Amino acid sequence: MVARMGQWTVFTILIALLPLAAMAAPRCVEDDVGREVCLEHPAQRIVGLSPGAVELLFSAGAGEQVVGAVGFSDEPPAARKVPRVGSYKRLDLEAILALKPDLVIAWRSGNPAGQTEQLERLGLTVYYSEPVRFEMIGTTLERFARLAGTEQLGKPVAEQFRAGIDALRQRHGDAKPITVFYQVWEEPLMTVNDRHLISEAIRLCGGVNVFGELPALTPRIGREAVLGADPEVIIAGGMGEDNPAWLDPWREFGSLTAVRRDNLFFVPPSTLQRPTPRMLEGTRRLCKHLEQARARR
Amino acid sequence: MPGVDAPARAYPWTALWVLALAGGLAMALAVAVGSVPLGAADLWAVFTGGGNELQRDLIWSLRAPRALAAFATGGLLALAGALMQVLLRNPLADPYVLGLSGGAAVGALGAMLLGAGAMLVSGSAFAGALLSTLLVFGLARGSGSWTPTRLLLTGVVVAAGWGAVITFLLTMSPTERLPGMLYWLMGDLAHARHPGWAWLVLVIAVAAMLPMGRSLNVLARGPLQAAALGVAVRPLETSVYVLASLVTAVAVTTAGSVGFVGLIVPHLLRLVLGNDQRLILPASALAGGTLLTLADTLARILLAPQQLPVGVITALLGVPVFLFLLYRSR
Repeated sequence: MVARMGQWTVFTILIALLPLAAMAAPRCVEDDVGREVCLEHPAQRIVGLSPGAVELLFSAGAGEQVVGAVGFSDEPPAARKVPRVGSYKRLDLEAILALKPDLVIAWRSGNPAGQTEQLERLGLTVYYSEPVRFEMIGTTLERFARLAGTEQLGKPVAEQFRAGIDALRQRHGDAKPITVFYQVWEEPLMTVNDRHLISEAIRLCGGVNVFGELPALTPRIGREAVLGADPEVIIAGGMGEDNPAWLDPWREFGSLTAVRRDNLFFVPPSTLQRPTPRMLEGTRRLCKHLEQARARR
Repeated sequence: MPGVDAPARAYPWTALWVLALAGGLAMALAVAVGSVPLGAADLWAVFTGGGNELQRDLIWSLRAPRALAAFATGGLLALAGALMQVLLRNPLADPYVLGLSGGAAVGALGAMLLGAGAMLVSGSAFAGALLSTLLVFGLARGSGSWTPTRLLLTGVVVAAGWGAVITFLLTMSPTERLPGMLYWLMGDLAHARHPGWAWLVLVIAVAAMLPMGRSLNVLARGPLQAAALGVAVRPLETSVYVLASLVTAVAVTTAGSVGFVGLIVPHLLRLVLGNDQRLILPASALAGGTLLTLADTLARILLAPQQLPVGVITALLGVPVFLFLLYRSR
């Protein structure tokens, strides 16, 4: 009995010490350029260098630790109150240093490489983020939560996102293929190719991106090419979250199948064009529209 | 300048007919080719009122309006360039040298930054162009007298000021708005849908300038000579400035600041045809229109379905031709 008590005591002490051990051991994750990023303690002062990274940090439960953000970091609303550190194209290095961050989330393809390298030389811990696939959104949420010590908040969000995407994949996995043109921008007319996350969302819903094969990630195309490709569905973003005006110019082209069947749909751009958990909402809406379009065949 | 009048009398109509023919061919090419291939039979069917809906959309809604807009814009720019070169007696002058395109760009980019639609962007581009024109003219006049040098210097400095504002606007803009802004700055005809105004202004401007051709020839030799020969220099210069500015403003409003056409086309024609403004002005309108129509057609088809901004092509076409002619002319 005494021995048993002793065992229990040791066990209890060990359990009680576990968080300490976890704190003492470095928290290491791999970033999106394949480097290992390690922190001695959970990050307390994080600076996000892209609007997407800031939104992901808040989703991962680390919103309270975000002490600096670049301009246009407007989601969630709380992110608007975070002090600014320049724009993602031109970082204010002094402002970043003055915040004494213990973690900087950089945007590999968006931030100037010279400036982020300088941040590293100045001794800051830099994590390069570039979520370009659905699964990377979930992984990024988990990694951010791990670095910030907010696993309890971040993990469920990541799992919920994965479950949502999986459900969509199962539901639309064997839907009949339907050709889709996605319009990112109006002047110049821009779309995405198959390497883009938006195209992955289209595929997931059983759609086929008519410009998927083009070499550029966001090609500038002409209206004539869209008329030639004759997609069954046209999906457009817009300027602002509630402005489907870009769909109107298409209506004058009666030769388009999408116009004849009234398959012109608007999806709020921030729910599809930013690699954040809100893509689940945008992808759901996209799938619903493609279902509607199939019913009109 | 030897033989200002004599050779022009000998062949102006031939030269103009050749240029008009070239322009017609460029227009035909612009309508015939695109990222969707159409055969000769299809084209004939569409032109005789037949063809299917897709073919009619391609020709009448997309290619023809765009080709017409390209021709008018190119014509306006080359005409304005020829006028500016005479007015400022400076071979480096082009329609934008006095800061007009900068003013238009600030108007257009500002509207884009605020998320305005196409109509408002065009409107504020036009307003910006006019504002810049008035600003430069008012400042250059100062307390009364203005000379081409003073006008040029004022214009160049105002243009530099606009340049700084443009850079500021580009820096402040969210990423997704940037491509549209850069395309506007390089010139893009993809959204020039209503070429009617540009054509109207082009025809009126050429018609208005032709009677002034002889006076402009004299002015090109210098204001003192012109005054000695009985030309009212100041009113002539003022009307040339106002007309060139209006013409450029319409061009910029139609297609953004397409570069190069206004600088190179008049020079090119002077190398070939001599420096008689009665011939150079209408010839510039025709050749500028032809060059821009060809360039825009190439911009549409070179990487089709991807699109290039037309300004890239005008320079790629124009630079070697110009350098070749300049080299040979020694």
